[in-house]
Amino acid sequence: MTNAVAGLGLAPDAAMVTFPIELFLPGSDISPVEARKQEFYDGLTRWRSAFAGDGAGEPPMLRVEGSSAEDALARANHLMLANRWGDGLPLWPPTRARVDWILRGSVEPRGRRLGTFPPRGGVTTVESCAIALAMAGGRPEYLPVLVAAVEAFLDPESGSEALQAASGSAFPVVIVNGPVGARIRLNAGFGCLGPDPQRPAGASIGRALRLLQQNLGGALPGIGTMANYGGGRYTNVVFAEDEASLPAGWPAHGTDRHGFAPGSSSISLAFANGATNIRRRGAKKETPAEDALQGMHRMADFMRVPNMAGLAGYEHGTPGILMLPGVVAQTMTGLGWTKASMREFLWEHSRIPAAELRRAGCPAWIEIDTSKVARDSLALDPWPITVRPENFVIVVAGGGHPTNSYWLQGYSPGVVGRPVDLPASFESLLAEAEREIGPA
Amino acid sequence: MTASLEFHDPSGAIEVKRPHAARVAGLAGKRVGFVSNEQWQAYRMLPRLKALLEADFAGIEVLPIDAFPQGNAVIGSEETAALVRASGVDAVIIGNAA
Repeated sequence: MTNAVAGLGLAPDAAMVTFPIELFLPGSDISPVEARKQEFYDGLTRWRSAFAGDGAGEPPMLRVEGSSAEDALARANHLMLANRWGDGLPLWPPTRARVDWILRGSVEPRGRRLGTFPPRGGVTTVESCAIALAMAGGRPEYLPVLVAAVEAFLDPESGSEALQAASGSAFPVVIVNGPVGARIRLNAGFGCLGPDPQRPAGASIGRALRLLQQNLGGALPGIGTMANYGGGRYTNVVFAEDEASLPAGWPAHGTDRHGFAPGSSSISLAFANGATNIRRRGAKKETPAEDALQGMHRMADFMRVPNMAGLAGYEHGTPGILMLPGVVAQTMTGLGWTKASMREFLWEHSRIPAAELRRAGCPAWIEIDTSKVARDSLALDPWPITVRPENFVIVVAGGGHPTNSYWLQGYSPGVVGRPVDLPASFESLLAEAEREIGPA
Repeated sequence: MTASLEFHDPSGAIEVKRPHAARVAGLAGKRVGFVSNEQWQAYRMLPRLKALLEADFAGIEVLPIDAFPQGNAVIGSEETAALVRASGVDAVIIGNAA
């Protein structure tokens, strides 16, 4: 929790009186407040920050020695884990040579400042991204996507300042549009949310983003972030939209949500707090139209839940990201569905009867929401899970198989887009990748 | 034979742009306020703390718990900060986080 004030430009410590969680629960014994009253009084009178200096300046280079190269590598990993800079998996030490190699993927100077990472407030530069990408086993051609994702993450519209520390276990989802996805070997098909040695970019980019969240942002479990479960946090979620499978007339997500030119490379960042596979396909002798309609109802039913964390994005964000296989999107288009009509359907059929909201105590959460639009929505029965259908994100991704779709439940105050700028040397970086890890 | 590796510290720099608020020398005779998010039993704990301050320090004036806007939606706003400044308090207690 001490990180919380550093991001505001204050020293990273503060006068706090902390208690075990039991004190904060309904019906608790609050006598410890009196027993420890002197700590409150001291916080107002005697407390002084233990943080000396202004903290500016780059931290020094680190050095380890070992009896062999393997021993030095092991010692470097031990040092990084001991300093709480790792995630438990092996790391590449971010040596000067490796970081400089990664920086070949940047169009901008290494010192270009991207912002400060909340809540700890670590100064974030292009070089910071390269260091994290080096640690995560990344390659230079991945850097443009990571830098764009970090810029989006640090945009206040993303809500990252609160979500980094919040207990709801939000994880960033990065959707990549345009040619850059396929060119850097980002997965858009089978297994696109998991590891894939044929398309390894998503794991490294997502892991690098997580390392930045932790090492610059201070999101250490139970210390800098109260994320209760932390699902999806080894690599976050980074995938490309399967634009080759988009039905005629379907705009790519980057164009649809952010207005980027068709065919341009971009990223879109939102936060999710859950992931659900939906068996969408019918099982017997449904007609194509019945199969489509039943699948739509089944998906809407998965969305019709009291996700109070989702209130964060009620007005400007998203209730979630629906991932549809290309073959399903094409079939449904053939039946007359459009992306817009699917959103309208999902919005209408995911509404929750007010009686069910009351039964679950949801009005109390809605009444204290920061958004007046969200607060006013309490008057609606059934209650829509988001203010407008356009807030639903629908992307075409996943393998060429029609049975399942995927729902990334939203906890996302905004959906932030950024263009991806490629360096002049991009083609040579791809050629280098071909030589080193084989044909794409 | 030995091998060495030199690498970047990945934790980056921290900038301190402003100091924490100065502490008061003592609480007797001072004016103290609360900024509450009304979460995590603040509605019980902060009034208890108010009563303790009033009992322990002569001449202290502790403003009502609801003297300033309450709730996560508003306590971090510039408007609330302006109200706190305008109130003339010498010190503020903010709660509760969990």
